[in-house]
Amino acid sequence: MYGENYLLNVFVTPVGSPTWGACFLMCSKSSVADGVGGWRDYGVDPSQFSATLMRTCERLVKEGRFTPSSPVGILTSGYYELLQNKVPLLGSSTACIVVLDRRSHQLHTCNLGDSGFLVVRGGEVVHRSDEQQHYFNTPFQLSIAPPGAEGVVLSDSPEAADSASFDVQLGDIILTASDGLFDNMPDYMILQELKKLKSANYDSIQQTAQSIAKQAHELAYDPNYMSPFAQFACDNGLNVRGGKPDDITVLLSIVAEYTD
Amino acid sequence: MLTLLSMFYYICLRRRSRSGTRGEALTSRRAVESGHRATLPINVEVEQYAKEVLDFSSHYGSENSMSYTMWNLAGMPNVYPSSGDFTQTAVFRAYGTWWEQCASAPLPFRRTPKAFHSQDYIELAFEEPVYPTAVEVLETYHPGAIVQIMACSLNPFSQNPPTDVRWEVLWAEEPTKVLTPQARQFSPSIKQLSFPTNLIRVEVNSSLLKYYTELDAVVLRGQKDRPILSLYKMPRIDICDLSDSDEELSDPGASFGQAGDGKHINLGNGYFDKLPYELIQLIVSHLTLSDLCRLTQTCKLLHQHCCDPLQYIQLSLQPYWARLSDTSLGHLQGRCTLLQRLNLSWTGNRGALTLTGFSSFVKACGGSLVCLELSCCHFLSEPCLEVISQTCPRLQELNLSSCDRLHPQAFTHISKLTRLRRLVLYRTKIEQTAMLSILTFCIELRHLNLGSCVMIEDYDVVASMLAVRSCSLRSLDLWRCRNLTERGLAELAAGCRLLEELDLGWCSTLQSSSGCFQHLVRNLPCLRKLFLTANRTVCDSDIEELAANCPALQHLDILGVYYLPLSFLIYLYFSLSITQVYIR
Repeated sequence: MYGENYLLNVFVTPVGSPTWGACFLMCSKSSVADGVGGWRDYGVDPSQFSATLMRTCERLVKEGRFTPSSPVGILTSGYYELLQNKVPLLGSSTACIVVLDRRSHQLHTCNLGDSGFLVVRGGEVVHRSDEQQHYFNTPFQLSIAPPGAEGVVLSDSPEAADSASFDVQLGDIILTASDGLFDNMPDYMILQELKKLKSANYDSIQQTAQSIAKQAHELAYDPNYMSPFAQFACDNGLNVRGGKPDDITVLLSIVAEYTD
Repeated sequence: MLTLLSMFYYICLRRRSRSGTRGEALTSRRAVESGHRATLPINVEVEQYAKEVLDFSSHYGSENSMSYTMWNLAGMPNVYPSSGDFTQTAVFRAYGTWWEQCASAPLPFRRTPKAFHSQDYIELAFEEPVYPTAVEVLETYHPGAIVQIMACSLNPFSQNPPTDVRWEVLWAEEPTKVLTPQARQFSPSIKQLSFPTNLIRVEVNSSLLKYYTELDAVVLRGQKDRPILSLYKMPRIDICDLSDSDEELSDPGASFGQAGDGKHINLGNGYFDKLPYELIQLIVSHLTLSDLCRLTQTCKLLHQHCCDPLQYIQLSLQPYWARLSDTSLGHLQGRCTLLQRLNLSWTGNRGALTLTGFSSFVKACGGSLVCLELSCCHFLSEPCLEVISQTCPRLQELNLSSCDRLHPQAFTHISKLTRLRRLVLYRTKIEQTAMLSILTFCIELRHLNLGSCVMIEDYDVVASMLAVRSCSLRSLDLWRCRNLTERGLAELAAGCRLLEELDLGWCSTLQSSSGCFQHLVRNLPCLRKLFLTANRTVCDSDIEELAANCPALQHLDILGVYYLPLSFLIYLYFSLSITQVYIR
């Protein structure tokens, strides 16, 4: 993980607990999409919103106040709870939630914004989240704007998140990451790194995740490299090369048999 | 069995040791004690957090939320030992004396015992029943509100609940001022119980607090097996604490002693015979209900006085909620024919009162009823409300606060109570059709509380109806009425010109930019209380208009406003010449 403003939490329920198995939550700060400046111009600390959203979703998951098959509910409830704060909480955040249902062997996902996940099986990407963008460099985001600025600040409803559910098999690799990874590393490079993953033990997974993040970090600062971000910019008429320095968070997991 | 034997053994030894020498006595006692240790199991102390919140009277947060709601009191603490205002705590709806000072508050009932201070309560279920040794409450902000802790003999998780349910007071005290708002662990010394419990009730009184009290968790410490020590303590029989409640409220007719030979020996009543009837009535009117019932059993003259329906024009059974049953109501029935104000709040739960008992009482005594308090009465059902609507045509005040298990259909009967002036429906499931129906027929409404009524779909329609039908409305509580917009507010301002109290807390759909607040205050010159809690859009010009148009303003809540310079607050303070301003 590079950078500080990405928040990530992983929950794994103990075996024997009812329905679900694991839940990955990722809430990332994003700049206010008014095309002018950042949240600091409004006197708002940009990391506070995503941190509180994270904590709130975490609490919802811990207290079981969600339906595993519908992770968008976590997002909706989490956002609603943020509005219940007495002190106005301002800022914006993208979010990506992935829930593994141990019993039905399904992955339930929900993504709002430009973070995302990949499911890799047999060296190929079998499922991928879509980046949600309004226009170039303006991802979908949950936000609470200062009063009076509502028309200016982009604010998407939690229901605008992309939801998908699909089956998973033993051996599937699930990679959840912030936009810092996907902007700098195209899928084939990620797959190459993942091929190096030999065993399903904790250390090798940890190592692979770190090497992916490190590589993306290096590419981000390479001024000549044609990153996916640069490619996308060119497609939009902006003549740009190089990586996109950004905070990078990578979470890697493998669907495995439970062993004691 | 084992403990009885050991007690018997010990008593025998003690008797013997008394007759023997001192040395012998000591050795024999030591022998008994070591014998105890060898044969009896160690009594394990269990510590538990609350598993579930079963019931409560109010809370600050929204239904379906986990912010500032009572459900936060279950489970492990989220905040303690930090101090401050946190969403993860349990917070009640009110604090201080504000609410009681408003015109919308009910008049206090006479005969409230001095020891009854509770304003709110919460009931918690724990996993395992234990004999409590300690109850700890982790308070994280403005502590000091707890006034009573009680335990119940019923196990709320058991499949076959017993018929007799006992509540014992573990600890009780007057509300006291706590100097610091910082977090603390409150662990008063509690009474020993003779039964195991996993159902604890905490009652609070927040009137001395400067802000909301916030509670994080409750810990119940106890022993699974009955502690041996309790055998050595003889239970003190407290005259004032009759656990068999029915004795107090039972029919005293049977307890008249007759002289042994069957003849009545008329000794007269001494000086009481010389006092005028009205004077004895006046004296007796100062007694609490329990004393009144005890006095009834003393002699024929006082029985007559104490059963005189004139003593029962106001009746508050809320302090006796733990012991009220159908039978007690039945015994009181004969005396309550002139009843005008009845407080049954908090009573009747867990089967203590049923439809039969309640309707029998109401049918016998409800004819002149003017005020009926039924807050947190979960025994209420649709037929109960039907009985009320048929039997109490003169009813002016009805409080159904927190009767959240009452079926929405039940509220349709309220529209038959056309003389209603005060109606409290806080946290009920009333639906829009029933509400509109009530507003159509109850045109004398002066005080209406629709706080947290989540089942009403469109508050603009309700506001519109209020404007047309409820022109004498003095106070309106629309706390957390989420879909009220400037349209509804405008109609309200136009139609209910006599409004003195308006609570628009957490009504997030009201935007100051629409000018709705300015329009509102220009049209309501009598405003004394205005709550705009958590409305982020309130701005300077709103406050200016408020200061200019509402000279009577006393209570203002603008908590959570996004931006309001201090200069305006000072301006407000001086332009409204008021004795008390609470601006948060």
